[in-house]
Amino acid sequence: MKRHWRLLARYFAQYAKVRLAYKADFIIAFFSSMAATVLGFGFVLVLFTKIPRLQDWSFDEVMFLYGFSLIPLGFFNVVSWNLYDFSELYIIEGRFDRVLLRPVSTLYQVVFEKFRLESLQEVVTGILVVGYCVRRMHLELGAMDFLWFAVTVICGAGIYLAVFLILTAVSFWFEDRVGIVPPVFNMLNFGRYPLTIYNVFIQFLLSWIIPFGFATFYPTTHFLGRTAFTLYFHLVPVVAAGFTLLAVVVWNRGVANYSSTGT
Amino acid sequence: MPQMEVARPVPGPVPASSLWKFLRLHFEFARVGFVNTLAYRLRYYTGIVTYFIYVSVYYFIWKAIYEHSASIEGFDFAHLLTYIGVGWIIRSLYFNNIDQDLAYQVIEGRLAMDLIKPVNIQFMYVARAAGEAVFRLALLTVPTALILFLVYPLRLPASFGGFLTFLMSIGLSFLIVAAINFAVGTFALRLQSILGLLRAKFFLLELFSGLLLPMTFFPHIAQKILDFMPFQYISYIPMLIYLGKLHGIDLVRAMGIQVFWVVALMAIGDGLWRWSTGKLIIQGG
Repeated sequence: MKRHWRLLARYFAQYAKVRLAYKADFIIAFFSSMAATVLGFGFVLVLFTKIPRLQDWSFDEVMFLYGFSLIPLGFFNVVSWNLYDFSELYIIEGRFDRVLLRPVSTLYQVVFEKFRLESLQEVVTGILVVGYCVRRMHLELGAMDFLWFAVTVICGAGIYLAVFLILTAVSFWFEDRVGIVPPVFNMLNFGRYPLTIYNVFIQFLLSWIIPFGFATFYPTTHFLGRTAFTLYFHLVPVVAAGFTLLAVVVWNRGVANYSSTGT
Repeated sequence: MPQMEVARPVPGPVPASSLWKFLRLHFEFARVGFVNTLAYRLRYYTGIVTYFIYVSVYYFIWKAIYEHSASIEGFDFAHLLTYIGVGWIIRSLYFNNIDQDLAYQVIEGRLAMDLIKPVNIQFMYVARAAGEAVFRLALLTVPTALILFLVYPLRLPASFGGFLTFLMSIGLSFLIVAAINFAVGTFALRLQSILGLLRAKFFLLELFSGLLLPMTFFPHIAQKILDFMPFQYISYIPMLIYLGKLHGIDLVRAMGIQVFWVVALMAIGDGLWRWSTGKLIIQGG
């Protein structure tokens, strides 16, 4: 365990050096990331200039939800970079052979070999937005709430990572990119609205098939004092653990199925 | 090398044979784009489901929005639903991946193969994307439209003539998107990774093209600024034509500006391409 932490620090330091060597690149990436964060919320910002509430959710509440979702998403984005090109870079180009030769878990290597540093911006933005909303709504948060906040953020990042690991692991069986990843990536956005506006089918989809609701919506209901979802809120760690376990199992089966392309 | 003549712009009136060659060559690129896409058929089945889910999600979001008001900015719910639904249907047609394709060419060091071709690179990419678009029309756009029209109460086009104008307008949308993507894609030559840039562009187009909501929903000052940008000519203008909200001189003017943006953006893309290839290091290859 200690060795893994040290390795993580080394990986991170190494990659940070690589990224910062190209300063102009990094600055452009940083501002693109900022722009994406703001524009992603542009729809809701523009909308609330025309309407007072979304169903019975106020602007502050929707903004809290969006801000909260940025925090686990930011952590996920920092480590998810390798997952997008996984089948191109690791399977088709055969880089996975190298990963298999090393005495550290394959999953660990793939996730921590590259970092998208600029996405830490999302974490900071998210915390600022949440802080602003808490002040505006005069929410009373105790010590336990802060603990829950940290726990649900970790769970949220875990859920995002698990979902995309499962999708990535599919490329161990099908080398051709089926094109599932981009649409699921866009579905991240749908978990950033109050789930109550959807019908049962989509609520089910976002809760139990692709559980983005457990990464964002259900945690925030607790902090907003919406007691109707208390049960779901307490299920957050359970769902996160369950999907993480599933992801590890699928990944390991995928690795067992891997055969090098020989390139 | 008979195709060499195509490489340089011919001064004065274009001889008929040269234009014929140009068209034949680019038809060939389009055919290659079409055939290449054939290999990824599976993607289009997931694509239909994806578009259906998108429209469904936005259906519920808009339903929640209209809960407190009957009409917002001149759109009642039925109109707005058509605006969103058909907006997504046409997106499946004008959308393309030229920027990503260019980025992959650079990453995989295959760009040298593009550089030695004696043709205008931008036209080649646009022609290929057009071939893909024809493929998507059959396998994605039409099936998606059928399903969405069956499930949701979307309105038919305002008139037959309007529908034909709408189709022409989508053609121009396709060229605008293609030109923007090519221009953004050229940055892959100078930057280490353009993934972040592509993501920002994705959200930019989604919001400012009018795909997510009509331009009239934006604050007044934002509308004024966006009037001077090409984005709303991608989705908002064709959708206004579809809904029969643009007539006479306004219609001509709007489509004239579409044409202007096609030409302007392609000129910008051409300039960027020249600038990017001015100093270039090919990795491996």
